[in-house]
Amino acid sequence: MANSSSILQQLGCFRSLLTKPRVSGVTTTTTTSRRMLTTVWSAKPAPIPFPKKLPEQFHDQIPKRFRLNIARKKMKIYPPPPPLKCKNPVDFIAQTQLNKLDPSGKRRELFDYRRHARSVKPGDIIRVTFKNGDPFAGVVLSIKLRGADTSVLMRNQLTRVGVEMSVKVFSPNVESVEIVQRTQKRKRRARLYYLRQPRHDMGSVENLVANYLRQKRALTGTKMGGNQKR
Amino acid sequence: MSPRLSEQLAHIPFRSNWSPRSAVHGQVPIRTFGIRSLNPPKTSRFDVGPGLPLLKSTPTAALERKANTLPLRTGAIAIKKGMTGLYDATSGKRIACTVLQLDRLEVISHKTLQKHGYFAVQMGAGWRRPANLTKSLLGHFSANGISPKRHIYEFRVKDERGLLPVGEPVNADWFKVGQYVDARSNSKGKGFAGVMKRHGFGGQDRSHGVSLTHRSLGSAGPSQGGGSRVYPGKKMAGNMGNEQNTVQNLKILQVDRKNGIVVVNGSISGPKGCVVRIQDALKKPWPKVKLVSKSS
Repeated sequence: MANSSSILQQLGCFRSLLTKPRVSGVTTTTTTSRRMLTTVWSAKPAPIPFPKKLPEQFHDQIPKRFRLNIARKKMKIYPPPPPLKCKNPVDFIAQTQLNKLDPSGKRRELFDYRRHARSVKPGDIIRVTFKNGDPFAGVVLSIKLRGADTSVLMRNQLTRVGVEMSVKVFSPNVESVEIVQRTQKRKRRARLYYLRQPRHDMGSVENLVANYLRQKRALTGTKMGGNQKR
Repeated sequence: MSPRLSEQLAHIPFRSNWSPRSAVHGQVPIRTFGIRSLNPPKTSRFDVGPGLPLLKSTPTAALERKANTLPLRTGAIAIKKGMTGLYDATSGKRIACTVLQLDRLEVISHKTLQKHGYFAVQMGAGWRRPANLTKSLLGHFSANGISPKRHIYEFRVKDERGLLPVGEPVNADWFKVGQYVDARSNSKGKGFAGVMKRHGFGGQDRSHGVSLTHRSLGSAGPSQGGGSRVYPGKKMAGNMGNEQNTVQNLKILQVDRKNGIVVVNGSISGPKGCVVRIQDALKKPWPKVKLVSKSS
């Protein structure tokens, strides 16, 4: 429901029809078209010129777009610092650690069986001594070459129970690795997991290891069987 | 500003020592016969007078509350580069570790209590082609005299002593070997995941008449007794991962200033190449380092 005042407001629109449109500056005879009842065309007001000889202290009171000589301040883009040289930090860390754990590179040669002929190969019998704990000997089932995380999996029988031990080769706990016996025939696969099956199982290698230690003692002339470090 | 009492009202003494037996109106005591509600004490509309507690909803009060849980100095933006293992020299144990790299990390600007309501250091890392940046950001960099940065993050600090000067680089030796840090990063995104993967639901039977709903949730809630609606927060299928995760108390194992490498014990959320923010651990004593003097 519209009350009387709102009706009057709506009627007020017609006032614009009756009055002559005022155009500042330019004198036009008649306006040909009216867009709407309420809006009457009027010329765009001419921009007010920037006051001349205006003291500088008043400049900032005038809107920015009206000011004279508004030169855009050019953004200065600073050059970046030199980029880092090290592109692969993980490899860098691993390599520095490997160099620290194996400064001579002999341990690396001993297990990198794809590049070095005299290295440990799957099927060999090796004996590993530790800084803390008993030495362990066994057949090498697999060698996992993973840089500093290179590990070797050995299998043996202790008290007629099959035992397997995985040793991280570059661990500071590993004191020495000796090859007790090389495999007679080159194994044609890298992972000798079939040795776990009863028909392929080598059984205990303790006798072979004891024999090897006895021979070594005889050669070196030591009583306790000092470990040959590789 | 808190409303102030006009001077006239302020001189009127408020009756704070109102006794239950009798209330005093002017000079004449009025007996209340032990009924408290007969003459309740007159309270002022205005929260004025000495001994009022300080407001708790101000930035200053918020900063005071957070004083013990805000680090003293800024953290660093790092990129996760991958994981590897280190051998402990004494025990010979292998420690899994994450390798992080700080790339051209610099202070861009500060947030201060006076202007922003809190103290923080805005840090930027990497470099981005200026053509790929918005003008507003470019202006921000140029105003502070910094090259355009790829990653921008804020690190809150306790007070102005933690505000490292603008333009100062932060290198890997910002962290000391042996100290502890908190690392926050976005976890790996798993996409739209079902309830079994996302929330560990049990799923439904393989058989016994179940058809086509082996991995879906059972019921979404009670029926008419529960209002016939699904309660807010109901665990359902949806987007999994790619949300921020903080791993606390990670030990710094190695620091390489030249290559910007920081090696941290343990794992950090997110894929390789993700942005990791590391800051001094909240739950360990702050590392003993020199802070920025107040004058600078």
